[in-house]
Amino acid sequence: MDHEMMLGLARAAGLDRALELFPDDVAAAAKQASGNIAGFKAPVDPRAEPWPPMRPGSGAGTSL
Amino acid sequence: MTERHWMGVADATRAFAARTLSPVELLQSLLDRIAKLDPVLNVFITLDAEAAMDQARAAEAEIAAGRIRGPLHGVPMGVKDIIDVAGLRTTGHSRVLIDNVATADAVCVARLRQAGAIMLGKVATHEFAIGGPSFDLPWPPARNPWNPDFHPGGSSSGSGSGVAAGLFPAALGTDTGGSVRNPASACGIVGLKPTYGLVSRRGVFPLSYTLDHVGPMTRTVADNALLLDCLAGHDPADPASQPTPRTNYAAQLERGVRGLRIGFVRHFHERDVPASPEVAAGLEHAARVLEAEGAEIRTVTLPSLSEFAAVNRVLLCSEAWAVHAPWLRERPEQYGELSRRRLMPGAFMAAGDYVQAQRRRLQMIAEVEDAFREVDVLFCASSMDTACRIEDPETVARTYSRQARTPFNVTGHPALAMFAGLSKEGLPLSLQFAGRNFGEATLFRVARAWERAAGTASRHPPIG
Repeated sequence: MDHEMMLGLARAAGLDRALELFPDDVAAAAKQASGNIAGFKAPVDPRAEPWPPMRPGSGAGTSL
Repeated sequence: MTERHWMGVADATRAFAARTLSPVELLQSLLDRIAKLDPVLNVFITLDAEAAMDQARAAEAEIAAGRIRGPLHGVPMGVKDIIDVAGLRTTGHSRVLIDNVATADAVCVARLRQAGAIMLGKVATHEFAIGGPSFDLPWPPARNPWNPDFHPGGSSSGSGSGVAAGLFPAALGTDTGGSVRNPASACGIVGLKPTYGLVSRRGVFPLSYTLDHVGPMTRTVADNALLLDCLAGHDPADPASQPTPRTNYAAQLERGVRGLRIGFVRHFHERDVPASPEVAAGLEHAARVLEAEGAEIRTVTLPSLSEFAAVNRVLLCSEAWAVHAPWLRERPEQYGELSRRRLMPGAFMAAGDYVQAQRRRLQMIAEVEDAFREVDVLFCASSMDTACRIEDPETVARTYSRQARTPFNVTGHPALAMFAGLSKEGLPLSLQFAGRNFGEATLFRVARAWERAAGTASRHPPIG
């Protein structure tokens, strides 16, 4: 991720104050995100479902 | 006779029943030890000594009258400070929640109270269970009782340090990427991450909804099983909670491992993240001991640790960003540096990245389930190193990811880390067992066989 893209994503995420006060922390976070995303093999089979799946009727017993 | 502060949960309740010790006497001994050691170990954020003493007096009267409330009656416990205890602050070890007072007990705390436990106080964590060890927070980080210059592991750092130091016989921790098992490993105690959905998370400040677990931390396997007996159970208000049949987790403890097939995941510590020679030798020694006890040891292959870790981090960071984004936008200065760096990556991940990680996760679950068709329990490293010096940020950062705990947060299988002996430097070595979903009873059986054969339960830090 280049610097301009990092800045654009950080601003789009509302991190203007963090960019102003802690630019190194924002840059470190962006670098970590790129590494994590590249670190696993996304399934190529379109039928591969995510976990946990949607379960009808399995919501919390109390609303928050 | 066992010194009071080294008495476990079961030892204490037996002594209460035999009238050789009272809950007030035990609590006073622990409070004296806390007064002496906590200035060095930094375990407590909130010590609720007065309320604990009131509860101990009540327990003493009830036990004397023959009214035993449950298997933990009169036993003091520590609670990680992201778990609500009514009337006490839940700070998350953070400036962000410094005045946040809980109005109700978390379900896990309520269940321990129902069994008669006394909540002694709230203990140190990494900030919001992720940012630590840090020196830029309102409270200092907990330290390792085997040597206070060393890190006790995290994020349930106060729970691990306090149990190992004899400040309380048991504690609650939470585990999203290994945070019960890391301090259990670094401090030489027993830490269980139960099956996802077995213990309610209601009343626990979330880090990552689909990875968070609450787990017991104790000095012995039997005490761990005893706590899980009290903690497990369906909670309809926790959407992840699973209805499960009532189980006596201690029932199989002394059955030994004869006839069990144990799958040794050697590639975790030999190839994926090469362990220190002492850790590797400790694992091989434990495998030989378990084999001598009658288990069949088979080598098992799972996905690589780096891939498990990447999936864990994409899920954790995405979900944690959803929790913390409003505060990170408005007041990032109230977080410590490590928290900012570990919570903000979610801002740089796309929705598609999160879904792809969840899809890969289902495949990984299937691969671990396949392994459990061939073996009864998995055995592997927990930490690849012993504890590092706490004031050495470069070593802390280097060793942070050198572990094999995240796979079982990704898959949800139960996993237990425990003491495996001492290094030449006098620091705990560790190992890890993982079981089939809701197979904690078998997991405890294997862990107890190792504990008995290796004599690990009688080793305590040379402190106090």
